[in-house]
Amino acid sequence: MGIPFATVYSDVDRTAPHVLESDETYRLGPAPATESYLRGDLLLDIARRAQADAIHPGYGFLSENADFAEACEEAEIKFIGPPAAAMRALGSKTRARQAADKAGMPRTPGSTKGLASLEEALDLAAEIGYPVMLKAAAGGGGKGMRMVTRQEDLKSAFETAQSEAERAFGSNEVYLEKLIDRPRHIEIQVLADEHGHCIYLGERECSIQRRHQKVIEEAPSAVVNAELRRQMGEAAVRLAKSAGYTNAGTVEFLLDDRDSFYFLEMNTRLQVEHPVTELVTGLDLVHLQIRIAQGEPLAIAQDDVRLRGHTIECRIYAEDPDNGFFPSPGKITRLLQPGGPGIREDSGIYEGWTVPMDYDPMLSKLIAYAPTREEAVARMLRALDEYVICGIRTNLALFRRILKDPDFQAARIDTGYLDRLLSETNQTMPSNQGEEQTALATIAAAVFESHRNAAPSTVAQPANSWKRNAREEGLRR
Amino acid sequence: MKLYIEIDGKTRSVEYTPGANAVKIDGVDMEADAQQQRPGVLSVIMDGRAWRVVLEEHEDEPALHLAGKRIAYRLDDPRSLKARRAHAGGADGPKAIKASMPGRVVRVVAQPGDLVEAHQGVVVIEAMKMQNELKSPKSGRVAELRVSAGDTVVSGDVLAVIE
Repeated sequence: MGIPFATVYSDVDRTAPHVLESDETYRLGPAPATESYLRGDLLLDIARRAQADAIHPGYGFLSENADFAEACEEAEIKFIGPPAAAMRALGSKTRARQAADKAGMPRTPGSTKGLASLEEALDLAAEIGYPVMLKAAAGGGGKGMRMVTRQEDLKSAFETAQSEAERAFGSNEVYLEKLIDRPRHIEIQVLADEHGHCIYLGERECSIQRRHQKVIEEAPSAVVNAELRRQMGEAAVRLAKSAGYTNAGTVEFLLDDRDSFYFLEMNTRLQVEHPVTELVTGLDLVHLQIRIAQGEPLAIAQDDVRLRGHTIECRIYAEDPDNGFFPSPGKITRLLQPGGPGIREDSGIYEGWTVPMDYDPMLSKLIAYAPTREEAVARMLRALDEYVICGIRTNLALFRRILKDPDFQAARIDTGYLDRLLSETNQTMPSNQGEEQTALATIAAAVFESHRNAAPSTVAQPANSWKRNAREEGLRR
Repeated sequence: MKLYIEIDGKTRSVEYTPGANAVKIDGVDMEADAQQQRPGVLSVIMDGRAWRVVLEEHEDEPALHLAGKRIAYRLDDPRSLKARRAHAGGADGPKAIKASMPGRVVRVVAQPGDLVEAHQGVVVIEAMKMQNELKSPKSGRVAELRVSAGDTVVSGDVLAVIE
């Protein structure tokens, strides 16, 4: 679009990729998000200094913060997203549940207001029956969210959810809803201009989750047919219109095994997984967001939206699968990234980058696109084999395991799928292959170690390690 | 040159003649051609099959990335064996709760002198916006508490000692 842009950074992000690629960039503050990326006042100061016409809030931090959207409106800097009023009506999960009731959408049983006390939580949970979910009203990305299966666990879960919500979102409002058994997570992407047109861009299936955090997303869903897509899409559009929503947004649903869907929440922003929709619709969502924010009417009607092919996205995280998936920040000492036909990567890393401990552990989104789901899976597996990240632990191996699993390949998935897979013992490789690879690893280790022992690393590397070794051996004699 | 490499708890000897495409593992001849593509990235051809092996340097536990797997190894020598024995503590006695990741202490749940059950939470650490409760490895008394809320810790730091 040829629009020059400025970015912001905290001290630990001084050399982050987005800073290196910016036209202009400005320091926000120290590492903690509460002193940098969550400081709307500082962002607006910088926007004025940079003479910005608009702010794109991304998909974290202040992107769903109605106060910030309102502050932008007051400062006459266009917030690329919905108006503050629509965010207030839908962005809080509790108010969104009230809005869903008004729009006549099915939702999960539970509260439509924040819980005032532990007693209220206990009473409500007893009424609707365990298991229940506790969720931060301002939440997203699994933060401030706890599943509770027994009454005796509710107290500690309630306190942890409140404290996590307070720290992550600056609000400790938590509500409670009934857990739907083995649901699929299906969400509808909507796009609304400022002239009353609203369309849906098909669904994404995000059933592969761990700790309520999406791990793999795909579009389209293997179980959503044209009629179900139309029903869910029209319900999503109804909700968006009822709240005066504009710009990009996502309406999330749970789908049970009888094809009944329940409204879960609305994300009043662009989502992490938006690339899968971009690839199956051929639309650039950020581009369209900016056009909408400029006041242009949508150039496409509902009938123009066509879905082609299949897309899968893997969220690569800095976390250690062998150690309870604990975050694994640190320096990336070596990086080999995949490429080739049908592969897109949206990443925030490079070799030598130190992944800070202060933010979400997402490193990159690896996206595979192909004519069919089966081919997309094959492409993703090929790309995963090419991908190597050293220095920190990542969940790369987990994706290989999921994508090779017969249940995943047959799309027999629900939001509990990954927890069940992880509770099974990982099958070991066939023994002959294991032996060959162990021999290979032994040889490689010996070659690497002999280099390390023999030469300081400052020496230029000859192309042939055997030759170099021979030279070094010769010198020692 | 002869080296001893330990993988999966088993040590193998590796002998090779620099410049030749032959290697001996535990005295058995194998044909293997290894070429370094760039530092830390090795191309190995064995029985006509091509492999890429990537080195992850680490002081204590280097690892190799091979066919989508991460394989930790150890260069075995008498010194490291001794070091390992020294590391292995007894099953009884005081047990430390160590930080399993870098982060910030958000809450200390138990106080010095408190009696705790095995798997009872002692310290809550937050990193990358996730809170993780570190639990006691055994039933006992909190003998030492080395951190308080707000402290920054690095991986391996002792947070508390249970006796």
